[in-house]
Amino acid sequence: MAKEKKVNENVQESVPPMGMTMIAREFKKDKLAMFSLAVLVIILLGVFIGSVIINQDQIMRVSIFDKYAAPGTFSTTNNTTFILGADEGGRDVFGQLIIGARNSILIGFTITIVTSIIGVGLGIVSGYYGGAIDNILMRIVDFIMILPIQMIIIVFVTIVPKYNVWSFIGIMSSFYWVGKARLFRSKALSESRRDYVSASKTLGTSDFKIMFRELMPNLSSLIITNLTMNFAANIGIETTLTFLGFGLPTNVPSLGTLIGYASNGDVLSNKTWIWLPASVLILVMMLSINYVGQALKRSADARQRLG
Amino acid sequence: MWKTILRRIILMIPQVIILSIFIFLLAQAMPGDPFTGLINPNMDPAVIEKMREAAGLNDPWHIQYIRWIGNAIHGDFGTSFLYKLPVAEIIGERALNTIWLSLLTVILTYLIALPLGLFAGRYQNSWFDKVVVVYNFFSFAVPIFIFALLTLFIFGYRLDWFPTTGSVSSDVVKGTTAYFFDKLHHITLPAISQAFLATAVTIQYLRSEVIDAKTQDFVRTARSKGVPTNKVFTRHIFRNASLPIASQLGYEITGLISGSVVIEKIFGYPGIGKLFIDSIVQRDYTVITALILILGIATLIGTLLSDIIMSIVDPRIRIQ
Amino acid sequence: MNKKFVGMATVLALTSATLVACGGDKKANTTNNEVETADVAKFPVESKNEKKAIKDGTLDVAVVADSSFRGLFSAELYEDNVDMQFMRPSHESLFTTDEDFVITNDGPAKLDLDVENKKATITIQKDLTWSDGEKVTADDLIWPYEIIGHKDYTGVRYDNNMTNIIGMEDYHDGKSETISGIKKVDDKTITIEYKDVNPGLLQSGGGIWENAAPKHAMKDIPVKDLASSDIVRKRPITFGPYVMTNVVNGEAVEYQPNKYYYKGAPKLAKINFTSVASASIVEALKAKKYDMVVSMPTDIYSTYKDLENYSVLGRPELSYTYLGFKLGKWDKAQGQVIPNPDAKMADEKLRQAMGYAVNNDEVGKKFYNGLRTNATTLIPPVFKSLHDKDIKGYTQNKEKARDLLKEAGYKDKDGDGFVEDKNGKKLVIKFASMSGGETAQPLADYYIQEWKDIGLNVELATGRLIDVQSFYDKLKNDDPEIDIYQGAWGTGTDPSPTGLYGRHSFFNHGRFADEENDKLLEAIDSKESFDPEKRQEAFYNWQKYASKKAFVIPTLYRTEVMPVHDRVTGLDWHQNNFYMWSEIGVSQEKR
Repeated sequence: MAKEKKVNENVQESVPPMGMTMIAREFKKDKLAMFSLAVLVIILLGVFIGSVIINQDQIMRVSIFDKYAAPGTFSTTNNTTFILGADEGGRDVFGQLIIGARNSILIGFTITIVTSIIGVGLGIVSGYYGGAIDNILMRIVDFIMILPIQMIIIVFVTIVPKYNVWSFIGIMSSFYWVGKARLFRSKALSESRRDYVSASKTLGTSDFKIMFRELMPNLSSLIITNLTMNFAANIGIETTLTFLGFGLPTNVPSLGTLIGYASNGDVLSNKTWIWLPASVLILVMMLSINYVGQALKRSADARQRLG
Repeated sequence: MWKTILRRIILMIPQVIILSIFIFLLAQAMPGDPFTGLINPNMDPAVIEKMREAAGLNDPWHIQYIRWIGNAIHGDFGTSFLYKLPVAEIIGERALNTIWLSLLTVILTYLIALPLGLFAGRYQNSWFDKVVVVYNFFSFAVPIFIFALLTLFIFGYRLDWFPTTGSVSSDVVKGTTAYFFDKLHHITLPAISQAFLATAVTIQYLRSEVIDAKTQDFVRTARSKGVPTNKVFTRHIFRNASLPIASQLGYEITGLISGSVVIEKIFGYPGIGKLFIDSIVQRDYTVITALILILGIATLIGTLLSDIIMSIVDPRIRIQ
Repeated sequence: MNKKFVGMATVLALTSATLVACGGDKKANTTNNEVETADVAKFPVESKNEKKAIKDGTLDVAVVADSSFRGLFSAELYEDNVDMQFMRPSHESLFTTDEDFVITNDGPAKLDLDVENKKATITIQKDLTWSDGEKVTADDLIWPYEIIGHKDYTGVRYDNNMTNIIGMEDYHDGKSETISGIKKVDDKTITIEYKDVNPGLLQSGGGIWENAAPKHAMKDIPVKDLASSDIVRKRPITFGPYVMTNVVNGEAVEYQPNKYYYKGAPKLAKINFTSVASASIVEALKAKKYDMVVSMPTDIYSTYKDLENYSVLGRPELSYTYLGFKLGKWDKAQGQVIPNPDAKMADEKLRQAMGYAVNNDEVGKKFYNGLRTNATTLIPPVFKSLHDKDIKGYTQNKEKARDLLKEAGYKDKDGDGFVEDKNGKKLVIKFASMSGGETAQPLADYYIQEWKDIGLNVELATGRLIDVQSFYDKLKNDDPEIDIYQGAWGTGTDPSPTGLYGRHSFFNHGRFADEENDKLLEAIDSKESFDPEKRQEAFYNWQKYASKKAFVIPTLYRTEVMPVHDRVTGLDWHQNNFYMWSEIGVSQEKR
């Protein structure tokens, strides 16, 4: 409880103006954000266009003669050159990187969106109405908060009979919304006591409209930072679970499975081409997302604007 | 305040009950049981069946649950199928290891995070701040196991500065100072790896806390009164930002204990996390259920303690 | 703002530099080092160091295990192979064996089996002394039986071999105080009477208990508390060359010489066994942390085959990998297998075709660097006189595979590239394979690929690899999700296949049974088979039949390897070398 109380006191006074012009202005001012945005767009375009072109079945085809082929090796079995080498099954790492990045981005994105919708939604509802609804929701949140989540997720992964990308997203989403719900509840709680909310109420605006058209935009800067951090964290959780052997099925390429190969000491120290590109890609994406996110945040928050 | 604490404790009881049922059902739903692994082809399936029966695995779940929880109240979590030892004994031994590791991790985390976080916030947008931010992102982006494996390989194997597996050498005698230092030697590397990740959150929190505080009324007031900037920071802002951290200690440690799976696996460190993974892989139900239940209760208590400490150090906040 | 740019650019530059650097030095290799194959036949089994062992040397041994060892250091109680590895230097057994693991009478004790009277006589023939100074007596030979048969015993050793002893069941049910079939003749001799004798009894692991237990130290501990007692966990009393002096739970064990060892003092002053995770063992060897490694993973052989100062020993493993087919169900009430003639895999031609579709020689070479080889029969060649060399087994021949399918009536009628079953319905075969190890996934993918190539639509059961526990859980419960599966059996030192493929065996996971098979298995365990020639013939006949019927298809034989530092001397790693630990030494102080 302590933390949220503390946060309450820091709620900003101003209701920031939003809009595309503001965002554009902010990006023009901040070259790094601009650069990051460009990098992000290039990565996303590359990954999504690339994964359409690349034939996944062919990439995932085992070719035992090319086991751990080094980058630049020409494969006689596939008649291709391994730009980034091959993994233990002789599968092209570059192809896996593209498809894996697409999978990871989609998975990370889906989990982020799902948890945000649930977390922000429930948080605002809970904070806005208070009373019994708030009580029940917060008891559920409290309950999930005390669980050792990593362990529970591992238990779930072993239980699920048909394990695939969707069950993975489901399991992750069902636990990682609670932190958000708590955060946004406390924000909504203090926000709902403000004048503009009571004014709207007296004007007869519907609760739904107040919550999601008036209250939520005021939390947008928080939502954005939260989103970017979450997206990165979700990819991190996926890789960690993969490392422990409870992540995505190994025949689904993802950044996590590629990095997970590094759990073998030899791959980690001598076959860097397998895991390093994926790690670098994650790092670059996270940094870019963060800088873009910061710019967005600034454009939503008048006090921090660069000009 | 005593009233609120008592109320909080009473509120815990239903939580613990639901938690225990939840965990128990989860364990029941896991495929396989400890007898699946018993592969002695000459064993009569009837004998195995008898062993299952004797272990009570054939009873309906609610009977099993009541028996389990009834014993658990008395501190008896049953016997581990794998280790053939009382679960409480195994967990006790492993928990001690993990607690040592977590303590050192917390100490290291604060040693690193406090100066970095506070000064990065104080000198926002300076080169120092930027380095800290990049470091922060590194520790967010680099999966903990990559970092841990690299530290293990570099400092453990290549440089040979630290032991690479286990919690203590087999040739030191328990109770001596050599034993203590040997243990410390063993946990240093895992603690550093773990702290690397833990600092990220703390630094980020401290930094934004200081940045926020700079614009607040009490700072403005102090400044307008002519208090020197340095004094404002050390006396007011740093204090205000660090206090919540101190109170988070209990919470932090419980979090570390339940989150040490990866580190313990990599460093072969026999703590709670490794015990959990071993038990999951080999379906040692009694250990899995007891472990999650105990960790859940520990988190509850840790949170309560944190709130109590918080309300003591910062009188502005009263626990609900 | 430019500064921020720099920050990010350095990150990029830094990471890509390492990438280039690491990628760069690999390119020098023109041939692919990773798939180089070892010649199994050329592995040494003995250390080549001829120097004399120094006095008071210390040997550091790594045991590769990803879970903490359980620490049940008792032959009667242990369940895990890792625990057994830790017991090797201290817990010596009673009998030596020959190359086929038949008990020979040169060791601490000798065995006489009286086939006519179904009676075994075991005599202690060496001056055996426990590590606490007490003599090993006949009571200590009987004690293990009394532990295992006890009603409070929770281990896995109370099996058919035990109930085969006269009076054992009465003792187990608490009807009698002692086992009536086991008698103490004098201080050094006991006799055991059996309900039935078979040639397996002469085999190590075949039914005669090969260990003694210190009754004088154990008799006051109730059997149910034995597993948590200090004598099992902390300070086992043993008569082997070394004795455990310090056990760090789940991590390491320290050994010192057993001063009462009957063959005189062993050569080392100390041995340290440490449990090491598979992910870091190679790095540990590069750092020269250990002298030798037990249970070394073979799927990463290429990463340690050329380590400086280490040589790799190799020997055939007592196990094989196989492809199983679900052909029936287990009937709990009758305690036997009920074959289903309509099972999806019931047609033996279909099974044979699957066997001919894959190239296990290539698998062994490429996935395991030659450490696994194409398996031909269900009795591994390590049993020299029992393995039938003339059986060729299944080698890749896709034409033949396709012909077999055609013959059996599996044809592609709807033109989707996959054959339909005999009734023209879509045929989807669900293949279960275990997770674990580097190669599990690519290997499963490879098999599926090859089967698709001959027109069989094979999918992974449950869509992913299955962890060991769930895998065997599904198999033993006859989960309809599984049609075929890849498993592995350790044969132990007793090669009799009845326990794995008999009609009444629960571990016959494929649930195959027919009269011919019953008859052939019976012949193996019959009294006639006490004659070595008859025994060989019985084994040959069964292997031929199993190969033809293809109810399971053996796929790979395994070679186990052990990296050993060059300073280790006197190491002879033959399976049946009884005195390995008492002979091992080191020839210099430093590694």
